[in-house]
Amino acid sequence: MADVSLDRRPAGAAAPAPAPADDPAPVAEAVVTAKARPALNPARVLRGLGSGVNRIAAIVLFLIAWEVLPRLELVDAVFLPPFSEVVVAWQELAVSGVLWNHTQASLIRSLAGFAIAIAVTIPLGLILGWYKPVADFLDPLLELFRNTAALALLPVFVLILGIGETSKISIVVYACAWPILLNTIAGVKGVDPLLIKSARSLGLPPYRLFQKVILPAAVPTVFTGIRLAGAYSILVLVAAEMVGAKAGLGFLINDAQFNFRIPDMYSGIITISVIGLVFNALLLRLERRFSTWRTTQ
Amino acid sequence: MSQPKISIRGVTKTFSVRDANLGRPSQFTAVSDIDIDVRAGEFLTLVGPSGCGKSTLLDLIAGLTKPASGTILLDGEPITGPGLDRGIVFQQYALFPWRTARGNIEFGLEAKGVGRKERRARAAEFLDLVGLSGFADRYPHELSGGMRQRVAIARSLAFDPEVLLMDEPFAALDAQTRESLQEELLSIWQRTGKTVVFITHGIDEAVYLGQRVAIMTSRPGRIKEIVDIDFETREGDLRADAKFGEFRHHIWTALRDEVAAAQAHEREAVGSVG
Ligand SMILES: Nc1ncnc2c1ncn2[C@@H]1O[C@H](COP(=O)(O)OP(=O)(O)OP(=O)(O)O)[C@@H](O)[C@H]1O
Ligand SMILES: [Mg+2]
Repeated sequence: MADVSLDRRPAGAAAPAPAPADDPAPVAEAVVTAKARPALNPARVLRGLGSGVNRIAAIVLFLIAWEVLPRLELVDAVFLPPFSEVVVAWQELAVSGVLWNHTQASLIRSLAGFAIAIAVTIPLGLILGWYKPVADFLDPLLELFRNTAALALLPVFVLILGIGETSKISIVVYACAWPILLNTIAGVKGVDPLLIKSARSLGLPPYRLFQKVILPAAVPTVFTGIRLAGAYSILVLVAAEMVGAKAGLGFLINDAQFNFRIPDMYSGIITISVIGLVFNALLLRLERRFSTWRTTQ
Repeated sequence: MSQPKISIRGVTKTFSVRDANLGRPSQFTAVSDIDIDVRAGEFLTLVGPSGCGKSTLLDLIAGLTKPASGTILLDGEPITGPGLDRGIVFQQYALFPWRTARGNIEFGLEAKGVGRKERRARAAEFLDLVGLSGFADRYPHELSGGMRQRVAIARSLAFDPEVLLMDEPFAALDAQTRESLQEELLSIWQRTGKTVVFITHGIDEAVYLGQRVAIMTSRPGRIKEIVDIDFETREGDLRADAKFGEFRHHIWTALRDEVAAAQAHEREAVGSVG
């Protein structure tokens, strides 16, 4: 381990929060938006706006516009049916159980990929972050992979793994792996050297140091990665489901559009938005819980 | 004479630093040829201009860094690394931000293998000692600077090391809190016979606490002089003693020249960069 005395940051500068993988709109997401989302994506539009009451107000206004504009024939009601019609279609899909079947298929794939990514990349990231020379050596390669949009690799996955579940879950694993891996590495590398020094002064052996200092210090950064991965797991999957799937929300949207069941298509989109929002909110809460100690000014 | 607790012989510490002029790393001598013995059970205070290498010396005694040359002996044995026989209060506190005040104090006790129940009790005892009983469950970022400093002090005392290495531990405190903690520290020291090396910028503090005051030169730090603080009696108000003023003046004069030299140094360094 390096001579930790080389750094003399004041205590106030603890937890420097390095999160290079924390940019919310990397290439993968852009691809999803461009390729796979024919119309407006309500969640994305909304997520950027205000907060609290404002946020609800903005959503209500948006839904009113969605209702009114087609009715006033300001937009073509065939391509954008009024929101109420979409709601009716959504209810029908829900009651018939069709919606649940697709949702279930998607969730299983997403969560499986997400879980595998977590299980594999956190230990890997911890190891890479701890052995700095290895991390420095691999860093350019990791950057390269991270910046290769997961969906650009979809044909490769399909080529090698076929169009079944394996390739779909694999692409989710791939997309989720990078933010978690890079954040874990950054979290371990970014531990305040003064804290390491402080623990070392108590004669802690390296493995205890890892357990008692490195791990807890890295947890918030790791969780940031997990939250990002959670978003990717849905974004990527939906796109993957539009290629050669027989179930899943991505399939539902694509299939509905193909058969001109436009309200159904929007029902699928709304379902995905809501799932994305809920998933993100859950992970955000989890992240907050594990980083209460972080000074958040 | 009995064996010194800490024996520092010809110790020099250098750092590799980037040199803007040379464009390659160069060696920077932080402390040079330090010679000093600390007796068992002694309270030694260390003063010197900012940047002269006091914290560097403390790191060396702690075993956190190794000298470029020279030897440091603890109880006659060369120091091989850090250990629970020495407790450090870092200048920048170095509290673990994910642990509460109590959790931080318990950290050293965990390292020592003290059981859960006793950890709790000890932590409570030392929180009380530094006047923070009501703040046991606060995280460092919820404490003021002075409170953090007190937690750091409590942490180093709680695991009962033989040697206390304290780097300006009272710097962030108000005068009243500082005085009461000075009293506490003296009484702990007298009770337990710990060896204390105490860095301070306060000349009064150095004279008041120390049995000896070691004065360091400006960079690269050497020991310029060691002043014996030999009051006839430590009873009563030391600060009112006539000798207190004499010691104070003596150290002040010795330091003035070093501080001036240090400032000249630093200006030079700035000049050569700009
Ligand atoms: N890790 C390091 N790398 C390079 N230079 C260092 C390092 N640590 C300390 N120094 C240098 O060594 C010198 C002594 O530093 P040190 O922190 O020991 O001073 P100090 O006497 O404790 O000062 P202060 O009273 O301001 O705390 C300084 O000039 C500093 O720039
Ligand atoms: Mg210092």
